[in-house]
Amino acid sequence: MSDPRKTIVVTGVGVVSPYGIGIDCLQVGMLSGKCCLAFTKDLYPGFVGSTAQVRSLPPVENELSLRYSRSDRLAMVAARDAVRNLDQEIATLRAGGVFMASTVAGLSEIDPEIAEDPAAWYRRGGLAQAVSYPAACVADAVGENLGVRGPRCAVSAACASSAMAIALAANMLLDGAAPVMLAGGSDALCPFTLSGFNSLQALDPDPCRPFDRNRKGLNLGEGAAVLVLETLEHAEARNANVLAVLRGWAMTNDAFHSTAPQTQGNGLAACMRLAMEMAELSSDDIGYVNAHGTGTPLNDVAETCAYETVFRGRKEPVPVSSTKSYFGHCLGAAGALEAIIAIIAVRCGALLPTLRLTDPIESTSVNWLGGEVLCQELPVAMSVSAGFGGSNAALIFGSGRG
Amino acid sequence: MSAELVAITGISSVSPYGTVAGLIPRCALEPEPITAWPTTGLRRAFMVKPFRPASVVPGLKTRRLDRLSAWAMVASSMALRDAGIDLNQEDRSRVAVVFGTGFGCAELTEAFCHSAAIHGWSGTDPSPFPEGLANSPASHVALWHEVRGPNITVGCKGFAGESALIQAASLLRHGQAELAVVLAGDTLTRAIYEWYEASGLLSPACYNSLPLTDGSGFVPSEGVAAMVLEPAGRREVRAYAHFSSGCWSANGRAVETIRKMLGGSVPRITICAGNGAPCATSSTSALASEITGTSERTVAAQAVAAGLTDSSALLHLILALSGQPPSGQALLLGTSGKNGFAVLLLELP
Repeated sequence: MSDPRKTIVVTGVGVVSPYGIGIDCLQVGMLSGKCCLAFTKDLYPGFVGSTAQVRSLPPVENELSLRYSRSDRLAMVAARDAVRNLDQEIATLRAGGVFMASTVAGLSEIDPEIAEDPAAWYRRGGLAQAVSYPAACVADAVGENLGVRGPRCAVSAACASSAMAIALAANMLLDGAAPVMLAGGSDALCPFTLSGFNSLQALDPDPCRPFDRNRKGLNLGEGAAVLVLETLEHAEARNANVLAVLRGWAMTNDAFHSTAPQTQGNGLAACMRLAMEMAELSSDDIGYVNAHGTGTPLNDVAETCAYETVFRGRKEPVPVSSTKSYFGHCLGAAGALEAIIAIIAVRCGALLPTLRLTDPIESTSVNWLGGEVLCQELPVAMSVSAGFGGSNAALIFGSGRG
Repeated sequence: MSAELVAITGISSVSPYGTVAGLIPRCALEPEPITAWPTTGLRRAFMVKPFRPASVVPGLKTRRLDRLSAWAMVASSMALRDAGIDLNQEDRSRVAVVFGTGFGCAELTEAFCHSAAIHGWSGTDPSPFPEGLANSPASHVALWHEVRGPNITVGCKGFAGESALIQAASLLRHGQAELAVVLAGDTLTRAIYEWYEASGLLSPACYNSLPLTDGSGFVPSEGVAAMVLEPAGRREVRAYAHFSSGCWSANGRAVETIRKMLGGSVPRITICAGNGAPCATSSTSALASEITGTSERTVAAQAVAAGLTDSSALLHLILALSGQPPSGQALLLGTSGKNGFAVLLLELP
């Protein structure tokens, strides 16, 4: 934190998760060990599986349009939650930017008939629904709803999308593009993605078991998470409460396969090392890793290899857990949700275990967190994301206490 | 945005003008009748003529890919070649790919919806699903060139191309990459075309075979344009342009923001970009006049590029550069209603 103009801090977080709205809900729910994954069979005819849904999404304040998708609405509620402490600083907020990730965006509103006779579907009401299809709509919905009028952008890097949105927003702050950036992701559960992952045979019908030898696949969840980012200089000038410092970030690509991760996790390992390099930290300094940990056979092995590469030779194995075991994989929102969980870990010194982890993948460099919550002082935590197309992102958060 | 110069050293395009490495030879294009899907009567658009990617880039395998990914691979290869880049001489972990798009892989999304319409959601075809993600073209570019730097796909109403350029420059400035391949593009599908039509956005020129006239409205287009960006002075090579700063914003105070960015200088030329129809560029022209004065030269938006809507900026810029503009400072400027404006400050050689 040598130069406050180049130090990026988190001064607000907003969450909509299957636990409810707000970071407190998420924290209390997860620390209690509650799993939100539930047996589901009504999301489309024939679907049977485990999902985690947001049950009661409130109406959005100051909603300007009825054409918002569910992903838009999740994002708007999360963003309002994130900026609740910025209400008195309208000018700051107005000049801010919005970088939001989504893989689903308005796909939740699209009827398959669009592929058969689009004009007919548009005539029957689909025209308004299709408006929300582009991923850019999520950032626009947040911007319009809050009156945030700086740069707006959708970031699409599959399941690493919202971690990348945070990284790119940090770059924009360093460039002076805006005084404050709202960055995160939002994705709604919908037949399109459920059907897609089901067709790939990637879903575990039961609650998932990341990093367990008996894992069978992932579960899908939904939610949204938004971080308020600004430079430390700007935060201090407005006397903002600094929740955490974004000490390092990096993005890489495997350049290996369109869906499968590089088998040795080389791209992910490079990404983690670049983030540590930016943060000027060694592998010994990382107190906890919130893993991507989807529970799919290929991801978890590759990810474990990446941890072996990065953390081999540490004094102690690095504590790692996958919090997708609590509420599934929220796709475009996952990276931001998990960033917030890493921030919770740094602020509270509470390291959440992976649920249902009874027979972990063998690793000498990883301390797989299972069972009870591990409580220990935690200066630095890393959140790791990966996605289809070989996308990787790593974010490192510090406590902000020096 | 900080002022270190970034050089555009390679350009290419896969567009209705054809597959072109470098500048696009001057020629007038008329919209073509649509034959790719059934239409009720004559419907026209600017379409990319079918071509075999391997005939342009030997060895390229695109049989299983959608057109957007194939075009991105072709355009990136041509742009790197145009820049004189031999990736074997580069650290591939330091090469970024940044792709701007409005609709992403719409063809594959529609293919997946088609399988759901035929077989129900429980019987969908898995093949279009992961490839339908908007980041697939950028991923295929990385895979083809084996480049492992940041791989980012961005969408932005009206300004996906500008956003991609600005964010790629940001990666270079912050040392997160040494070289960036920036791409922007979209494919035109039946669902997208008919959405424009149902929304009443199409030009009369889409419905008749009369020549396209200036200001006659919006004619949808498709294609991918590519640029190679690197820090100025990294190599002793020709640069099509340098750019030092840029921004995009939903902020209504475009004049104030752009004047602040210019710091008192007045660009010699304004290249009108942004999304939408030539007629919609009147607001861009008006903004350009307000900033640079009426005596300065303004390059009007080109209909073929404008039809790309969100991802039009790169093709607009390539077409403007192809017109051999005078050297000096230039603005690439776009406006898009409530989505605001985007601007890049360029230095033309």
